[in-house]
Amino acid sequence: MTDQLLAEVRKMRSTRTNLGLLAGMIALILLTVLLNGFIPKAHELMTHDNQHALLSAGTSAALFAALIGVMAITSEFRHGTIRPTFVVTPQRTQVITAKVIASLLMGAAFGLVAVGLSLGVGYAILTIRDIPLELETGHVVWLALGTPAMTAVWAALGVGLGAVVRNQVFAVIGLITWAMVIDNLLRGLVPSIGGYTPVGASAALVADPADYVLAAAAGGLLLVGYLVAFVAAGAILVARRDVT
Amino acid sequence: MSAVTNLMNRPSDQSLVEMKQTFPCGAGKTAVVTAEHLSKRFADVHAVDDLTFSLEPGTVTGFLGPNGAGKTTTLRMLLHLVEPSAGRALVFGRGYQDLERPAAQVGAVLEAADFHPGRSGRDHLFALALALGRGAKGGNWFLERERAAAKRVDAVLDLVELRSAGRRRVGSYSLGMRQRLGLAAALLGDPALLILDEPANGLDPEGVRWLRDFLRGFAADGKTVLVSSHVLAEVAQTVDDVIIINKGRLVTISPLAELIARRTGAVRVRARGAPKLRANLESEGFQATLLDGDELLVEGAPSARIGEIALRAGIPLAELVSESSSLEDIFLELTTEEPS
Repeated sequence: MTDQLLAEVRKMRSTRTNLGLLAGMIALILLTVLLNGFIPKAHELMTHDNQHALLSAGTSAALFAALIGVMAITSEFRHGTIRPTFVVTPQRTQVITAKVIASLLMGAAFGLVAVGLSLGVGYAILTIRDIPLELETGHVVWLALGTPAMTAVWAALGVGLGAVVRNQVFAVIGLITWAMVIDNLLRGLVPSIGGYTPVGASAALVADPADYVLAAAAGGLLLVGYLVAFVAAGAILVARRDVT
Repeated sequence: MSAVTNLMNRPSDQSLVEMKQTFPCGAGKTAVVTAEHLSKRFADVHAVDDLTFSLEPGTVTGFLGPNGAGKTTTLRMLLHLVEPSAGRALVFGRGYQDLERPAAQVGAVLEAADFHPGRSGRDHLFALALALGRGAKGGNWFLERERAAAKRVDAVLDLVELRSAGRRRVGSYSLGMRQRLGLAAALLGDPALLILDEPANGLDPEGVRWLRDFLRGFAADGKTVLVSSHVLAEVAQTVDDVIIINKGRLVTISPLAELIARRTGAVRVRARGAPKLRANLESEGFQATLLDGDELLVEGAPSARIGEIALRAGIPLAELVSESSSLEDIFLELTTEEPS
């Protein structure tokens, strides 16, 4: 199992895919923090919720993290490397497990970069503008710990999604459509179930103040539930389907 | 027997020592590959239909058939990539997935293009070498695993003469280089069996010759090769035995030499004393059929021998035509007729 994990980490390090994702993530977070930090008037930024929006910009890393996992499995199907991979390790569940763990690690690393950027730059902006921090310490700790936890889970969940869908284009489009459109609509239009979507559950993990959001622990558990469901479905399907 | 002994005596490979215990070779050679009534249905297509064959150690076997005959599906069933609908596919007496470190026993090249174009050839091999692991012996420390993998990767890159291009992205490789990279991946575990699916596809003549020499050398070490092709001539100089399939079913399985001998014996002779010549030929043990008033079809006799017999009998020959079909004719004949 250690062998498979080392192999998967090597695969992730040896293409530009994850570097590209990292660059994209950093650019998006910086842009969000700068816009949220400099556009509102000083008194607007004194509110708790607006400060949360500023300092939690790192949570958009979740989508990039999910793409790590999706790419880790779908690029093997796309380029045919899944064949040599399974010839070396015919225990396919081991391969999926290794990809899940490698993605958890890579996702957590992305989350650390993301939360470092949003908390660091966000707090710097507040300091420059002489605005006192309105968020209580506990909230900041949830952000700091919850963001990498959330991105780790999303990356691993991406492996499950990719294993179910297999086709790279469909998996990426499906992921983005869900996270950016459908999930947003659900949370906006039907808040009663909005707290239970994958994005809603993630919001709980970073102590999002929106009122539909579950308690942090409940949200975290729910998110792990999604992870287990996707990974189990992916692992079962990959084990059963012929590799042609 | 010598090939088996060679295999068994390699002390470096624990798995083969285990094989000896599981499969004593007292009653003859242990089959390296066995297909038992192997079948695969895709939707309503019988890709492979009740296929049975086995391979002995130390041989190069050509797995032949027209495109769509079921070769690729069969090879993938041997490697546990495709699940058989019925029957069994065994490698070294076991299902592929039940082998201990299978890639240390079996190497496979399935497609010419199974690479990520943005990854270097070396990294491609490195990931596979890490996944392959280093078996029971040696330390488990991360750096030890990395170092062992690096050593194997460099060794196979040297073997396929790709060392200098190793750090380049595969996207910049020529087709021949990709083929060799695929072969390098198959050789990472120093396997005793190589399974190659259409390896000569798209290779230039130099590449084909390189591959042929490589495979002959591989088999000369007592190892076994199963190589598929839809062109018999492509592998004719490489293989000892042929398995020919068509429409998923076995057409014939025989040594190549026998296949050639079986089909190339016919010689057509025209001579005025044909009936007398026929009697003479038959007394020498050859089979001759009178076609026309003065035409004979002789089977199993080389033309030179027929000439000699005619000379001794004082029969002037008007025509002596070898009807021997080319290898490709044999192949086409075998694969266009319905398999029995």
